[in-house]
Amino acid sequence: MYQWLDDRLSIGKLYAKAFRKAFPVHHSFFLGEITLFSFVTLVLTGIFLTLNYEPSIRPVSGSLSGGQEVPAAYYSILYIDSLPFGAVLRSLHHWAAHIMIAAAFLHMLRIHLTGAYKNPRELNWIVGVFLLVLAIITAFTGYALPFDNYALTATKIGYEIGAAAPWVGKLMSDILFAGELSPTNTQTIPRLYPVHVLWLPLALIGLIGAHLAIMIKQKHTQPKYAEKVAPGKIVGVPLFPQQAAMMGILFLIYIAVTTFIAGAFLAHPVQAFGPPTANTPPVKPDWYFMWIYGILQIIPANWRFEFLGATFGPQFWGGILVPTLIILGALAIPFLDYSKDKQRYLELPSQHPFRTSFVIGMLMFYIMSTLAGYKVDLGLSNGLLWVLVFIVPVITGVVSYILLKAVYGKSWNQEVEVEFIGKGSAADD
Amino acid sequence: MADHEATAHHHHEEDPQAQATRRAILQAAIGVSAGAAVLSTLWVGAGLIPREEKVPSKEPVAVGDTLVFATGPKAGQEITLDDLRAAQGEKIPFIIAFPKSPENVVKKDLITNTVMVILADPAKMSPETRQHASPEGVLAYSAVCKHLGCTVSLWQNDTWLCPCHGGKYDIYNQAKVVGGPVPAPVPQLPVKVEGGKVVVAGEFLGKPGADV
Repeated sequence: MYQWLDDRLSIGKLYAKAFRKAFPVHHSFFLGEITLFSFVTLVLTGIFLTLNYEPSIRPVSGSLSGGQEVPAAYYSILYIDSLPFGAVLRSLHHWAAHIMIAAAFLHMLRIHLTGAYKNPRELNWIVGVFLLVLAIITAFTGYALPFDNYALTATKIGYEIGAAAPWVGKLMSDILFAGELSPTNTQTIPRLYPVHVLWLPLALIGLIGAHLAIMIKQKHTQPKYAEKVAPGKIVGVPLFPQQAAMMGILFLIYIAVTTFIAGAFLAHPVQAFGPPTANTPPVKPDWYFMWIYGILQIIPANWRFEFLGATFGPQFWGGILVPTLIILGALAIPFLDYSKDKQRYLELPSQHPFRTSFVIGMLMFYIMSTLAGYKVDLGLSNGLLWVLVFIVPVITGVVSYILLKAVYGKSWNQEVEVEFIGKGSAADD
Repeated sequence: MADHEATAHHHHEEDPQAQATRRAILQAAIGVSAGAAVLSTLWVGAGLIPREEKVPSKEPVAVGDTLVFATGPKAGQEITLDDLRAAQGEKIPFIIAFPKSPENVVKKDLITNTVMVILADPAKMSPETRQHASPEGVLAYSAVCKHLGCTVSLWQNDTWLCPCHGGKYDIYNQAKVVGGPVPAPVPQLPVKVEGGKVVVAGEFLGKPGADV
């Protein structure tokens, strides 16, 4: 049987070529895998949801809504929640999306802090940035699907932020949401549904494929010690069976933990929010949008001018310009910090104080602008928040730079000496 | 096969000019067809732009419309002076309303028709505000926040508060912005009271809806 298959598919060759690919082992290397597992979980739970979801807002009534007439999309969520484990699977879909974005972000931080984006991996860094942005956009297009009052309000804010883009914004928003987002627009759900369950996931699958293919082609970066153990070679375990076993175990742990979270913390109770009305509940965005939400709250109302028929106002500065600049900045990183030689080994964050303190400063910026999202709840003043959001990150960056130099500066010199001695002795040999 | 080779050979040997011309023609053909492909994609893609529907429930608010409850158990019912008096004592002292045409169509499918109506002390109002309120103190504004289009639905320390990004309006002074990132005041809607019902007495004093 094996021989028969091998004759046709050359399994032996495939095994030698693909399945023996070496994987360097480090616990931070699992972040990308966790992102991938989240995506797999999202697809699987998403399939279950699509099979029970009605992408329409035609009015329906039934026992689940207590005889009240509600939009069909909303009613189908009540139906899903009434199925065995339906609410848990819907909750798992919700939390897996959060974990995917968080894991992708941490994965990106790991790459950034270790300089793994440098030559020749600039292209994969760019694909990665697009993957993170696309994952967030995909999550956003799923917001409105339960069609409860909270979901619609949160999506409406996104609609208006899109419409704040100069000249083309209104058109783009109208195309994505099939007209103005309102509780009675019958076109919106049929437009968002295929975008969320088909087109964006297809785009994600394509980009994930490219990301992994480039990674396999370029090989992993690996910890520094590998250079001493076997210079120029990948020190690690083969994909099959060792790495595959680790991935399998990690996937099982992932499913176990997320299913526990999903069951213990049921996400987004649509009954509590009710179907959409003309009134707006107090909404807060998900954590990955909270920093934009925070910046929107602290931009002064009078920062506004008109230019060639387009309005540049607070919504544009906070909702579009700042995020766009950060995405462009992220795309530019491998070209600003370019190495001529090919990067094979990871760099220690402690040995790159500028880069590391920059990352710490940026993290502080995210934390502080997230805090600004709680401006009204905490009664914080605008002046204080401006200091927290724009001054504190700079101070944090400078202080961590000084600290990194003071604490690790000495050991760099020592290491250089050790290397020098090492080279000297090698020459003696 | 042999023919082909012979032709290729012939060109290569004799006429580099012809080869250059052929390349230019091919390049032009590729360019033109790529351009045509992009244009036709845009042309077909224009089908994604939603069409405007003309239905009575989407007409903008007009003089002579009455205001009806937009939400709650009384949704669709006309708002009376008594309803407004009752609301005065509540945590939220105003009512979110939709206009209803004399033909009994509730114009609920146009978001910018969402209106806030409140019974307030005329003595507290600025002269311009009072001018467009009813003598009893019935006062109405567009309820769609100028910032990002949420319904302004909260009330805090005598100011009208948007729950989404903390925009604050002073309802006694033409909804002047007194806090938050809101770019402009919401327009006032002139109203009067007829037979105990709230009736629209004029157009919005500005453009309703998010100002983006």
